[in-house]
Amino acid sequence: MSIILKTEGLKKTFKLTAKQQKLQNTKRKVITAVDNLSFEAYEGEIFGLLGPNGAGKTTALRILATLIKADEGDAMVDGSSVKTDPAAVRAKIGFLTSELKLEDFFTPNYLFDFFARLHNIDPKVSALRKKTLFEKFGVDKFAEVKISNLSTGMKQKASLVISIVHDPNIIIFDEPTNGLDVLTARVVTDFLQELKEQGKTIIVSTHIFSLVEKLCDRAGIIINGKMIVCDTLAHLTAEKPLEDVFFDLYAETVGEAV
Amino acid sequence: MSGIVTVMKKEFARFFGDKRMILMTLLPAILIYVIYSFMGTAMADMFAPDADRTQYVYAVSAPDRIVQKMTDSGLTIHHIALDDVDAVKYRISERNADLLVIFPDHFLQDVEAFDPRTTTALAPNVAVYFNSAEPNSLDTYMRMLGILDAFEASITSRLFDINRDITDADLATTADLTASIIASILPLLLMIFLFSGCMGLAPESIAGEKERGTLATLLVTPLGRSELAAGKILSLAVLSFLSGLVTAIATVLAMPNLMAGAEEFIDVGIYGVVDYIWLALIILSTVLLFVAMISIVSAVAKSVKEANMAVTPMVIIVMVVSVAGMFGGGAQENPLFYLIPIYSSVQSMGGIFSMEYSAVNVALSAASNLIYACIGGFALTKMFNSEKVMFSR
Repeated sequence: MSIILKTEGLKKTFKLTAKQQKLQNTKRKVITAVDNLSFEAYEGEIFGLLGPNGAGKTTALRILATLIKADEGDAMVDGSSVKTDPAAVRAKIGFLTSELKLEDFFTPNYLFDFFARLHNIDPKVSALRKKTLFEKFGVDKFAEVKISNLSTGMKQKASLVISIVHDPNIIIFDEPTNGLDVLTARVVTDFLQELKEQGKTIIVSTHIFSLVEKLCDRAGIIINGKMIVCDTLAHLTAEKPLEDVFFDLYAETVGEAV
Repeated sequence: MSGIVTVMKKEFARFFGDKRMILMTLLPAILIYVIYSFMGTAMADMFAPDADRTQYVYAVSAPDRIVQKMTDSGLTIHHIALDDVDAVKYRISERNADLLVIFPDHFLQDVEAFDPRTTTALAPNVAVYFNSAEPNSLDTYMRMLGILDAFEASITSRLFDINRDITDADLATTADLTASIIASILPLLLMIFLFSGCMGLAPESIAGEKERGTLATLLVTPLGRSELAAGKILSLAVLSFLSGLVTAIATVLAMPNLMAGAEEFIDVGIYGVVDYIWLALIILSTVLLFVAMISIVSAVAKSVKEANMAVTPMVIIVMVVSVAGMFGGGAQENPLFYLIPIYSSVQSMGGIFSMEYSAVNVALSAASNLIYACIGGFALTKMFNSEKVMFSR
């Protein structure tokens, strides 16, 4: 398998305001969200970024999606650099996170077409793709209902469908099952498997061990912005369950048991 | 380029698909029309005398010749004694009587005997009391003055007359009057309406999308940041222009109602096609500038509320500059004035409406507006690119 995504020495710092310093009870003016992060993802695999809240997972994914810029380091996404050619990267990836919302006023039908046009998809191709994806996720019954009137699950499904409107080869999901009921979560995880079977590469971030064990071919554990370990799931869980591996690593890194 | 069109189409779909938004845009126009018309009618009613009402004139020592003339012109006269004067004055102030005329005793003889060229004494004096707040009283007063004036003319030769038998002394044309009326009000109103139009749309479209996280969704597509900025500015400019236009049309339509009785002076047909083309250019370029200004503020703001708060001082600036531009005796001639944003637009509009403008200066104004709008568009692109502006909480 060939490498399709490679990050090298990614570093991202954020300045803390006086208020944030007080809230976090720290005197540091700058926090490092992602610290020298390097990892690779192979074509056709599901790669998991596992870590607690605030570990830097979302920041790393946002750098990959070109929403924010790294202070140092670079990432190559299917041959394009997030630093020097972010537009090309955006054309190659599908990015889904709960922070990115769809406009309440419009319907899934309108928004699918709108985003297809932004991705320069041929209208015939996009119409066919819309039909398939809408049917698959049950969005077809709500195609003409405004986003504001959809249930949380249906909104998430519409977001999912629209994020892959351009049939990208690399799909980046930040906490894909967060806030979803078990049924919708199952639909999403099944779909990720299906995408993998189609040869797509999927990067997911999560703090749910079972999700990584169930889905991922390889995983990296991030703690305090640093990649502590990155290996195949088989290797990671050879001796003990993933949860135990994580807590041992956490104790080693942070210096105290949880 | 196709990205710009796609963004514009979406903005138009958002606006025209939302009945509430359309209503909110049309509401100021409707309100202006109704309020102006109502104010005009109410004011006309307030100052017009009641044609059916008998006008009561109280007179002291009125000579028969004058009483005759008063009766001929439809006034009802009550003769009173000097002792009743105070009571009548009170009635006039209470609007229960219209006029009190007090002639001196032997008025006619005194007038006959008076010759300003041979005496240093003061001429006989007629005292006329009225209530200017009461339209009937004011009307009676004016008629009484006319009667006295005519009487004076009939008994003595005046030293000179003014405009005798000349009925067309005012040589101003309808066009001049329209131009001066419109040039004095419309630039200020247009600037305010256009800015309000932009204010109603841009913060919602930019700060609103940012606040709701829908702008970030666009930022992960291959759509260029400059295409997004241009698409937003252009579509918002078109919508703001339409909104400002509707309000301006409502104002122009309501103007004759507001200035009841001045209808014949308002004739927008006096302006030629070229004037309207220049006006359209100025308005469009001004709207682009306004939208760019408000968009930048909205992009920096964290919420629609914050954007609206930040834009409010800009309204005051636009108003002050617009009012300043209305004074100064017509349009400025120095081209440098046409490089000052906002002020140049007011000057150009004032010049076009008063039909005294230099095409070079108006073109300069439109061009400078476009350049400032482009700089604004460039700044907006930078902001869409800046994670600090887009994602700071």
